[in-house]
Amino acid sequence: MTRVFRASAAAALLLSGSAASAHHSFAMFDLGKNVTVEAVVKEVQFTNPHVWLQILVADGKGGQTEWSIESGARGMMLRNGWKPTTLKPGDKVTLTMHPLKDGSPGGSLVSVKVPDGRTLGSGAAN
Amino acid sequence: MRRSTVTAVLATFAAMAFAVVPFAAAQKPSIFGIWLGIGRNSPNFQKWKNKPNTPAPEFTAWGAQQSREQGRLGVELPTPGACEPVNPAMFVGGGLFPNQILDGGNQIVLLNEWVAVPRRIYTDGRKHPPAEDLVPTWEGHSIGHWEGDTLVVDTVGLNGRTRPLNGYFANAVNATPESLTVPRLPSSDQMHLVERFRLVGNGDILEVTRTITDPKAYLHRFSNTVYLERRPDLDVEEYYCSDNMRSKDEGH
Repeated sequence: MTRVFRASAAAALLLSGSAASAHHSFAMFDLGKNVTVEAVVKEVQFTNPHVWLQILVADGKGGQTEWSIESGARGMMLRNGWKPTTLKPGDKVTLTMHPLKDGSPGGSLVSVKVPDGRTLGSGAAN
Repeated sequence: MRRSTVTAVLATFAAMAFAVVPFAAAQKPSIFGIWLGIGRNSPNFQKWKNKPNTPAPEFTAWGAQQSREQGRLGVELPTPGACEPVNPAMFVGGGLFPNQILDGGNQIVLLNEWVAVPRRIYTDGRKHPPAEDLVPTWEGHSIGHWEGDTLVVDTVGLNGRTRPLNGYFANAVNATPESLTVPRLPSSDQMHLVERFRLVGNGDILEVTRTITDPKAYLHRFSNTVYLERRPDLDVEEYYCSDNMRSKDEGH
């Protein structure tokens, strides 16, 4: 699965920063597909209406691609075990997402194994 | 001896009555507090199931056209106004964001974490303003009164601009492929909403039955029921929808 992403990584790199605004709703994610990546956290935007995780994924060519992972609302996250400091820049994580249908480097969060060992979701399933 | 026994028993019952009745009255649970729709993982989930719209809504021609258009939003087209307040018919309930019900003196105030504006239900006996004085608003004009243990809330004066009664699911974080195909339920400025709030389940479950009449959109009235559980352990978080608008149609 990760290989699929690597194929589009070069193009995605050029789109960095615009991918997030290119989609219009959760229908733009492939809701029937789960993809898991190993990543390094670049930035956490602990905001509303959604929390965003900016992560770096190896592109298979010695470089990294930045992915934008959309998650739940901040309140949903807090009620499901998240804190603003649960993930910090530099943390290594295993993250599962519904990928963007158009192949851009982004997805909606399904779950992520955080450094303290817990696996947390977006707060959408309770 | 016998008489004294009977007297003693009666006295005991009387004492119990005096002791128990005021205690029970004092402990009568109120609807005020924090409530959350019952999620799948809750022990209350199996017992208190939401009841879908009954009878099934039937559209007018206008309603059918609106439903088709709204079904495309968020799927084929951008979703408009996703930060706008939701319809009062979907204000209470849902398992993602808590509701708070407050005693506002002459009114009961309903808050929902994800909705920018409160609902104010006037309980001081006033009526709705005359139609010509009614200002169309997102949440409408609500008046409430008690019928026994049930709070009955009557709402008119809606602006007809809210998202569908069942939401733009395409715009929801818990959307699924199946949810995207569910027909949207539009509403108009002619919508009349009657809600009945009642405590069940030892006072820790809030039952809300909503009856919707909207002759512009539907051929007949229909009702649904949602259940919430009392959650004093939860805080209602700040939710300013435009905080980080990376996609202009986000927010739900």
